[in-house]
Amino acid sequence: MTSPDDDVVLSVNGVSKRFCRDLKRSLLYGVQDIGAEVLGVRGKADSLRPKEFWALKDVSFQLRRGEALGLVGKNGSGKSTLLRIIAGLIRPDAGSVEVKGRVAPLIALGAGFNPILTGRENIYANMSILGLTKQEIDDRFDEVVEFAEIGDAIDSPVQGYSSGMAARLGFATAIHTEPDILLIDEVLAVGDIKFQSKCYRRLDELKQKAISFILVAHNPEAIYATCTSAVYLLKGDLITQGDVSPVMRRYEEELYKYETDEQAHGELFTAKKAKDESAGLDIVSVHFQDKNGKKTSQPISGEFTRVCINCYAHNNYDEIGLRIRIQKQGHGGDFLFMNNLHDKQPLQVKKGNNNIYLDFPYLGLMPGTYALIVVLLQGQLHQFDVSSPLNFKVEMHEGQRNLERSQFYQPRHWSSLKI
Amino acid sequence: MSQKRQRNLVQDNRTLAPRSTKTVVYRPESQIRRPRQLLWEMWRDLLASRELAWRLLVRDISAQYRQSFFGIIWAFLPPIVTALGFTLARNNGVVNIGETNIPYPVYVMFSMALWQTFVESLNGPIQAVNQAKPMLAKINFPREAIILAKLGEVFFNFGIKTLLLIGMFILFQVSVSWTVVIAPVALIHLVALGTSLGLFLAPMATLYQDFSRALLMITGFWLFLTPVVFPVPTSGLFGAVVRLNPVTPLLVTVRDLTTTGIVSDPAGFWAVSAIAFVGLFVAWILYRLSMPFVVERISS
Repeated sequence: MTSPDDDVVLSVNGVSKRFCRDLKRSLLYGVQDIGAEVLGVRGKADSLRPKEFWALKDVSFQLRRGEALGLVGKNGSGKSTLLRIIAGLIRPDAGSVEVKGRVAPLIALGAGFNPILTGRENIYANMSILGLTKQEIDDRFDEVVEFAEIGDAIDSPVQGYSSGMAARLGFATAIHTEPDILLIDEVLAVGDIKFQSKCYRRLDELKQKAISFILVAHNPEAIYATCTSAVYLLKGDLITQGDVSPVMRRYEEELYKYETDEQAHGELFTAKKAKDESAGLDIVSVHFQDKNGKKTSQPISGEFTRVCINCYAHNNYDEIGLRIRIQKQGHGGDFLFMNNLHDKQPLQVKKGNNNIYLDFPYLGLMPGTYALIVVLLQGQLHQFDVSSPLNFKVEMHEGQRNLERSQFYQPRHWSSLKI
Repeated sequence: MSQKRQRNLVQDNRTLAPRSTKTVVYRPESQIRRPRQLLWEMWRDLLASRELAWRLLVRDISAQYRQSFFGIIWAFLPPIVTALGFTLARNNGVVNIGETNIPYPVYVMFSMALWQTFVESLNGPIQAVNQAKPMLAKINFPREAIILAKLGEVFFNFGIKTLLLIGMFILFQVSVSWTVVIAPVALIHLVALGTSLGLFLAPMATLYQDFSRALLMITGFWLFLTPVVFPVPTSGLFGAVVRLNPVTPLLVTVRDLTTTGIVSDPAGFWAVSAIAFVGLFVAWILYRLSMPFVVERISS
């Protein structure tokens, strides 16, 4: 019995699950399902009832002993549903899931924590819920407290803990149950950087001990660093699976493509304003130009890039201010904020059409989707016009792909000198 | 250094300890089509949930009393207040209640404690599922544990009320029959009846709030169809209704065994007991089968 299949600890075979977004109907279907289950007539479902959709459709993959699998996909792609079926919380509507050994869900940080009770009492309660006996908890107790870095607070009520402390305690209790399969659903986003790296180290140790796990994370870094294989889900369908790099590349590409197709035009035109609506200076269009002065919709990291703002002036103006805000998808607030008046470079416009140029000798933005907002000002206070956000996508030359781990493009030059 | 080595060895041993490599399969088909497996799993989970139930019980009770200034006084007060109210009403002729075989205040307080225990056991499973929603949505633990923990709480609360009842029996010098030692058995039957009804309703009550509201209303009315504040009526339509009430024979038997030692309606007692225990088993199966579908509707 040494076939490679002996190593498979989890096998998901053509699993489908249907959901209903309408609450009233969902409850009604719940009653129907319970009735069918009790009467023994419930079987494989291959059609949808009204207002239902497939949260998962025919998903299959396997997890081997000691394997770390990253599960990626946009919100609502069915990742959590899949984990809940694997954990045995909800039943599939078609297909089957075979699990060998104990599954511990890390979807459950501190579920079952009672805020009134002390950390000590909660560790005992929570680890019992996760299936440990008192003896096993006694054995692990000190390790859990040490790992959670709770210290003396272990004997005070959990409601007085900071959110970080509570999360650390939750993670520590769950990870010390030492299951065969660990399901981790974005919980590592809690806690500070130091604790996060400790968690990842711990996951590595578990991997050495032949514990398998499934990690759901939005941060591709976490998947690259921890996982050996990956599964990409989109709207309930399994798009691709296999080694981490190709799966992640596909995921990130489609993430960009999806957004580009929808909104990132890389160019903006504004309808001409009537004279009485205008404050005297109106934005007509905004677009990018490359180093050859050619119009481009996708500027390239590290290349010369010009932002060209065409505006119409009803008068001659001195002391024109230009406020440029660039926001990045998935990054709250302004990513870049620039103002020519802060740079002590006021601009002039003459009556009629004018072009205003903002040059970046090297574009520092990394590939991604961004929005640019232009505000025209006279002095710091008087506002002429505000553009609507210009959505654009930054690309990168093929040869520079290895730089993708960086946060921004750093122009650089290497040299050596014997001294 | 050697100490650290020692510790590593200990840890390694633990990892090497035999793990259960049992394969579990989750399928869409009804579990009831594999009855033997279902029954075996029910038995296994019942055994597995004992320790967890105890932990949950300890957790719930200690949290409950830690957050309260008067603590267990709250277990005493309601029966005292009810008894006081009815005794005042009866002595002043506001209500016309027949003679009871023990002093009326003791009668009301004792019966009220039993009735409350029944109502607690009836509401117990529904409350247990509602309170454990976040856990149920995220962790696959034996679902029996929260029910057992609630049962423990019901008996714990009755235990506290027993202290009060002993005090009352001494104060009013009510003699107790030797059969009081088997009264707890009848009490267990009463709790079984309540739990079977509650467990039967729990899955639906978690989906639809209507059940909890209706139950609150029904138990309020049900009290007056049960010989709690009045002795068992012997005649009339009302008497027939009271005797058809399944709670009556169980509650009256606990009272009989404690005071007179003569069970007034043994046939009724055994009939309802049989219904209660068979019902409990059926409700347990129903509860198990429906929980995944209920959990599906609890957002995590």
